[in-house]
This record gives sequence, structure tokens and C-alpha cells, in this order.
Amino acid sequence: MKTQLKKADGLEPRPMVINLGPSHPSMHNTLRVIAELDGEIIRKADLEIGYLHCGFEKIAESKTYHQFIAFTDRMGYTSALCNNIGYVLAVEKLLGIDVPERCKWIRVILAELARLSDHVMSIGLMAMDIGAFTVMLYGFIERELIYDVFEASTGGRMTMSYPRIGGLVKDVPKDFGERVLKFADRVDPFCSEVEELLENNRIWNERTRGVGVIPREEAVNWGITGPLLRAFGVNYDIRKVNPYLTYDQIDFEVPLRPEGDVFARYKVKMAEMRQSARILRQAVEKMPKSGPINIDDHGIILPPKDGMKGSIESLIHHFKLIIDGIKIPAGESYFCTETPNGELGFYIVSDGGRHPVRMRVRPPTFYNLQPFPRMVEGGFISDSIAVMASLNIAAGELDR
Amino acid sequence: MSTLEIIVTCIKVLAVFTALQMAVPVLVIMERRGVSFIQDRVGPDRCGPFGLLQPFADAAKLVFKEDITPRHVDKLLYFLAPAFCLIVPTVAFAVVPFGSGIRIGDFTLSFQIADFRVGVLYLLAILSMSSFGVVCAGWAQNNKYGTLSALRGVAQSVSYEIAMCLAVVAVVMSTNSDSGVSSTAMSTIVADQGGTYLGFFPKWNVFTQPIAFFIFLAAMYAETNRTPFDFVECEQELVAGYMTEYGSMKFSMLFMGEYIAMALQSALLVTFFLGGWTLPWVDLGDGSIAGGIASVIVFLVKWFAVAWLYIWVRWTLPRLRYDKLMDLGWKALVPLALINIVATAFVGVWLRS
Amino acid sequence: MQNQHGSSHDSHGASHSGGGHDGHERPQDDPRESLWYRCYIPEIIRGLKVTMKHILFRPRFTVKYPEEKYNCPGFEGSAPGYHGEHRLKKDEQGRIKCVACLMCQTVCPAKCIEIEGGEDEKGAKYPVKFEINMLRCIYCGFCEEACPKDAIELTTKYYQVSTSREEKIYGKERLLNN
Repeated sequence: MKTQLKKADGLEPRPMVINLGPSHPSMHNTLRVIAELDGEIIRKADLEIGYLHCGFEKIAESKTYHQFIAFTDRMGYTSALCNNIGYVLAVEKLLGIDVPERCKWIRVILAELARLSDHVMSIGLMAMDIGAFTVMLYGFIERELIYDVFEASTGGRMTMSYPRIGGLVKDVPKDFGERVLKFADRVDPFCSEVEELLENNRIWNERTRGVGVIPREEAVNWGITGPLLRAFGVNYDIRKVNPYLTYDQIDFEVPLRPEGDVFARYKVKMAEMRQSARILRQAVEKMPKSGPINIDDHGIILPPKDGMKGSIESLIHHFKLIIDGIKIPAGESYFCTETPNGELGFYIVSDGGRHPVRMRVRPPTFYNLQPFPRMVEGGFISDSIAVMASLNIAAGELDR
Repeated sequence: MSTLEIIVTCIKVLAVFTALQMAVPVLVIMERRGVSFIQDRVGPDRCGPFGLLQPFADAAKLVFKEDITPRHVDKLLYFLAPAFCLIVPTVAFAVVPFGSGIRIGDFTLSFQIADFRVGVLYLLAILSMSSFGVVCAGWAQNNKYGTLSALRGVAQSVSYEIAMCLAVVAVVMSTNSDSGVSSTAMSTIVADQGGTYLGFFPKWNVFTQPIAFFIFLAAMYAETNRTPFDFVECEQELVAGYMTEYGSMKFSMLFMGEYIAMALQSALLVTFFLGGWTLPWVDLGDGSIAGGIASVIVFLVKWFAVAWLYIWVRWTLPRLRYDKLMDLGWKALVPLALINIVATAFVGVWLRS
Repeated sequence: MQNQHGSSHDSHGASHSGGGHDGHERPQDDPRESLWYRCYIPEIIRGLKVTMKHILFRPRFTVKYPEEKYNCPGFEGSAPGYHGEHRLKKDEQGRIKCVACLMCQTVCPAKCIEIEGGEDEKGAKYPVKFEINMLRCIYCGFCEEACPKDAIELTTKYYQVSTSREEKIYGKERLLNN
């Protein structure tokens, strides 16, 4: 395929270098791919990231543990609650506490809803980048409906900052279960509709099958996680491997595909959405209908406001918590959760002060993006767009 | 040619040109409202009744925008390309019969600007120039995305023109020219599709030449650069392709050219395969005023249906990859069209003998 | 649909041996052999049917904003507990509840609250200046949670529009009347 041109008249053949991004319609965030082209074929691709670097890890060193919850929202804005929950669980591990049962179930439900909201959008955007614009808007409708559930229960639509270290801000409303179930019933029709539009369509198949494949060992070595890794046929889901919250009490499957191409990623995500709906149904059923949502330790979680006004002790707790923050014992911990894009880990080092000494975030998309040049080299420009869409990058997380 | 004929032709040219210019806003609003209904949205509904004036508002906005000419462009081509894009599909409309005709005394007012004996050849010749506009625009703007788009555009139209021409050849072959009229005249192709088989089955070419119909349909999308073949301007890959560096009025000319091409291709599909202005069970070609007007309406209805198909398909399907398009064109459509021609020839000879 | 991926994993995993661009094993649901699939058109028509169904039978999802306002399902307007703009509250005597304890200012992760405390003639503390920069605010609700006097709360206003940056820096009066 290599172009054969003669070196005549001082005209040397050289590859065309094209910049995809940092502002390009299909680099959904501010990413830049420097591609060396031979005709339409990408010979060499270089990634440049960091356009959305906010220094979240550094900010964490000057914020209390409580304050940083609000920052985790902004890292993975497409699945903010998953990030909230991941962070809160990491701090709870460092504290060595266990939250009440009801709180765990609510967190599971919210995390699955967030996963759904991310998947409907990533499927939609993948379809949009491959040209099927309509699927994206169908996805956005579903996402809007998930956000309605979020709004009714957490008070936020996109960035909720809902979980707290040791519990939740407030209890969910009484009709929470019904709202969740109502949405869970929509997942299957949505998936079937998308499948009808895309799945057996030859155009979709030709655009996605065999695109962006790397050997499975390489995928594992790059540190890919999440649906992307499962599309390579590796059975690694933290919800199964290392169950947190109440995932060990829930019956669900981990969808896998052997191929590792864009089509497999799409299939895994579709199957995962159906599994999420299944988890939602079980969780609503198994969730204790009443009971505490916060741990009973006012050195960690704010005391209820009614009690505080009567008792001076609660008031002191309240002031100490706000001003000094939570007393976290010196030590370090790493905790990872399964977010829609893969393994999100928080590594926190504490010296017993009010701020972490060092916080390291293991963002799933950062690792998922790394093999991108390997996936697109030798392919067409169009393929690189499809691959980029299938990676589902959230730049807040990527650049932190 | 008598003076009257010249005057009438001039009036017809003006009328068709104006109608084509007006077809653009109609198609635009149809597309924008149509796609919003497909996507469960409402679409533009603020300008005028049902948002019908939206395209005019858009046009006004574009006209009043600052007309920027980037410094790095090839000036001549940069200015010529939009005109080219607009003129080529407009000129091709000259041979499209959009109605039967009205006979007043011994003067016949035919609803067709020029009825060449070689109308089909004229049409294909003009159509093959349609990629020049894209190439000029893509090359002149001196932009890598534009260049890629121009390359894609020319490769695409070269490969699809062949399939399209071969499909049309089959239609011409199956057109009955026993009575001495030229079977390459557009009016003959239409007139031949009037009437029915066995009293009820339309004599449209879509039924006698189904393979040619689908080939033409596919080539038609490729010719006008619409999804699933919109590589030339696919936003996700090439930003805006050959329109990247254009703005203001020049952009709107490119845009209009694209929609006029769409209108033209729809009209051609109607003419070649869906019976043009004819209705199978009613003879509209009797020269009466009512028949003439009815035939124009029939043509418009069919034309709208095909234009809607354009929009409907665009917002349903994903985009094919560029090399797959070439695969499809050269490995499937061209051989299929050739086989179709041979088959048509055999069947034709067999029917005659 | 769900079972075929989950349960079939082990057999794939064992047979798969990396190295080179492999990964082109064909699972059971591969439609690519059939003529139905190969000739494009049937599946295209199926897709067209889906979109036509949307035109004919689905309700429009759009909210025509200035005329219609968005309602969270089950509520009039936004859901109770929605994080909107702030409001400062007054007590029964019409005095501002805030005692300028700076709790909200301390807990705010975005540092958008600025308070200057003062004392009135009876020695009661009150905020001389209470300013929230709404452009900095991230609407996390931490301030409401931190306030020991229930003096600040988030309203449930969806629509927060203004035409200049200065307008978005809310002073005490603006917050009291919000």
C-alpha cells in the first residue's frame, strides 16, 4: 500500500501530517491526535493529552476529605456518582468503617444508574461518530430520564455530590424504588431499538468489526479495564473479582466478547446495560425499606440538624467536623471500584491531618487511551474516529 | 425556432430556475423538521407558521455575515468553486420533463425546457462535472481536511458515475423506440412508462428494471454526498470537508448547490424509474390544461416522496467507510450493472423474436 | 441475549492465544454469512421502520422553553431538594438568621462565599457583607449542610439567567430576596 513516488525535481514524497484536535468534532474532549497519513491510512499516530488538566490530585492536598467529594464529580462527569462513591469508599476503607446496609444498597442503585447514563451516552456517541446521529439523541432521551431519577433523589442532575464519608447526605424519597424500576423497564426497549437500527446492519458491521484490535496480552499489559477489556474476552470486573458494597449479594453476569474490536465493545456495553437493569431490579427488591443510612459516629458524619440545635455536644461535633475535618488515622489505602469505563482507584496517603498528604487517582480512561496509537496505526482515518468513540474518553478524568 | 418559442423557452428557464432556488428552502425545512420528528424533537418552529420561514432566516443570516477570504487560499478557484457547485446541477435540470404539456391551438407548451434527442447523454455529461466543484473547493482552500475531502469526492464520483451510467443504459435499452422517437430523449423515457401491463400493473421501470433502480439509488446518494456516503463532508472525520474554509454567501452557495443536486437526483430517479409525470391508470398527456397541471402535481408528489427518502435514510443509517464504498462501487454495483445490461439485451431480443 | 456472552466465556478464554492481530473468531451470532445481510437492503428497511415509528407514534421529548417550563416528573417544577441558587433566611422577627459563623465559607470547596461579620448594638452577630459568586459556585450544597442556624439554603430554581458577570455576584439583599 505504500506510495511509491520517485524523488524527482526535488519533490520528495513525505507523509501528510494531520492534526485531529484539540478542537475537532469527534475528539469529544480536548484531545489531540497527530496522525501521519499515507493517503487515507494512518501510518503513525501520536497522542497529546493534558488540555483539560485541572490538578485535581494536587487540589486534594489542600482540601479536607469532605470537600474533595465535590471534586470527584468533576472528574468523571458522565458518571459522577460512580466517582463519588469510589472516593467515599476509599476514605471509608482508610477509616476502617462500614456503612449501614440501606446506605450500601442505595449506593449500588445509584452507581448502576450512573453506569447506565454513561453507557447510553457512550453508545449514542459511538453511533454518532460512525454517522448514525439519531441513535445519539435516543440515548440522550434515556439519559435525561435517568437524570430525573437523580434529581428527585439527590438534588443534582449531572454533578450530585451525594454520598458522604460514612453515609449519604439525606435519605432517598419514598418513591425512589418505583422511579428506579420505572426506568429499569425502559432499558430493554431502548437496547432493542438500538440493536434494530445498528446491530445487523451491514454498514455498522463493516465500520466496527475488526477495527481497533490489538492482541489480548497487549491489552492486558496496557492496563485497559472495564467494558473495553471485557471486549477482549478477559473476565475482569471488580464487582465480581473484589465485590464491594453489596455486589456479592446480587446475581448478575459479566458480558464478554472475544474479538476486542469496536463491535465487541459496543456489544459488551449493550449487554452490560441489560445487566445493570437486572441489578437495579434486584437491588430495589433487596434494599431494606427503612433503617439508618449514616453510621452512628459524629466524628465522621455530621449529626442531624434537629438534634444539633438542642444539644451542645452535637454542635461541637458539627463545628469540629466542618473546621477540622474528619480525623483520619495515618496510613494509606487504595480502593478501586468499577466505573462505566473501568477501574477507578483512589490511593490516599494520610498523616492524620485534615488533608491527605498525597492522593493519586487511577482514572480508567487514562489507561484505556494509551493503546490508541496501536489500535489505529495501519487503519483509516474513519477507523480512528470509531476507535476513539469506542474508548469513551472523559477528559476530566483523563487529565485530572 | 420562432420568436414565440424563444420567448416561451426563456420564461420556462426563468420559472424552472426560480423553482429550483425555492426548492432549496423547501428541502431544508423538510429536512430539519423531518429529522427532528425522527429524533423525537420539535425542530425549528419559531420562524413563521410551523417554522416555514426558518430557511429564509438562515439565508439572511448567511448573507449578512462577513465574507472572509482566508489569506492562504487559491483566490480564483476559491471564488469559482461555489458557483460551480451551484450551476452544474441547475443546468442539468434543462432536460428533466416535469409535466406533460398543454396544447393551445397548434402551439404545444411542453413542461420541459429542452427535449434533446440525446437528453440522457447531456445529463450524464453534466453530472460528471459535478465533482469539479468539490475538487476546486477542496483544493483551493489549502486546508488538509479540504484536500482529503476533495480526494475522496473525486474518487467517489468517478466510481459511482460509472455504475449510475450503466444503470441508466439499461433503462434506455428497455425503453421502447419502435415508433422512430429517440430512446435517449427524456420525454420518450417518461412517455414509455405511462400506461399499465394487463390493465392494472404500472409500466414503471422500477418494476421492469429493479436492479438498475437500486444501483441508481445507491449511486444517487453517493453523487450527492449524503449519508450513508457522505465522506466528503462528514463532520466527525473531516470537520466540514470542502466547506471548511468557506463562510457567508459562498458557504450558502455550496450549501444550496448540494441541495439542488439532491433535488436533481430525486427528479432523475422519478423520471427514470418512477414514471415521471405519468400516472399508470390515467392518461395525463392528452394536452388538456387540466391534464397538464395534474401531471405537474403528480411529478411533484413523486419528487417529494423521493426527497423524503433522502432525508429519512440520512438520519437512520451510519456512514460507510471510504474504502468499503469503493469496494461496493467497483466490486458490486459496476459488475451488477453490466450483468443487468446483458440480461436486458437478451430479454429484449427474446421478447422481439 | 445476555446469556450468550457471559456463559460462553471460558471456552473462548482458553482457546485464545494472543500474538499478532488475531481476535477474529466469529461468535455464534455473526450474521455476516447470510445473503440477507450481504445485500444491505433488508436491514436498511428495518432501520427505516424504526425511525418512522418514532415519527408516527413517539411523543416529542422537547420542552418548548419560554412557554413551557420543565417539570421533574411527579413534581411541579424542580424536585424538592434540587440544588439551585442560594437563599438567606430570616427568623420570625424578620432578622437575618445568619450569625456570621463562617461555617459555609469554610466548607465551600469552590471558595465562592465571602462573609464579613459585625455586631449590632445588642452584641448579636450578623453578616455585614454576605456575598456569593454564583459563577464560582458549584451547587454542591455543602454550605446548607454546614450551617448550624439553618440560615442558608439552596432554592429549587432551575432558571438562573443574567446578562452580565457583575449580576451573578449576589449580595446580601439579593440573597435574602431570592
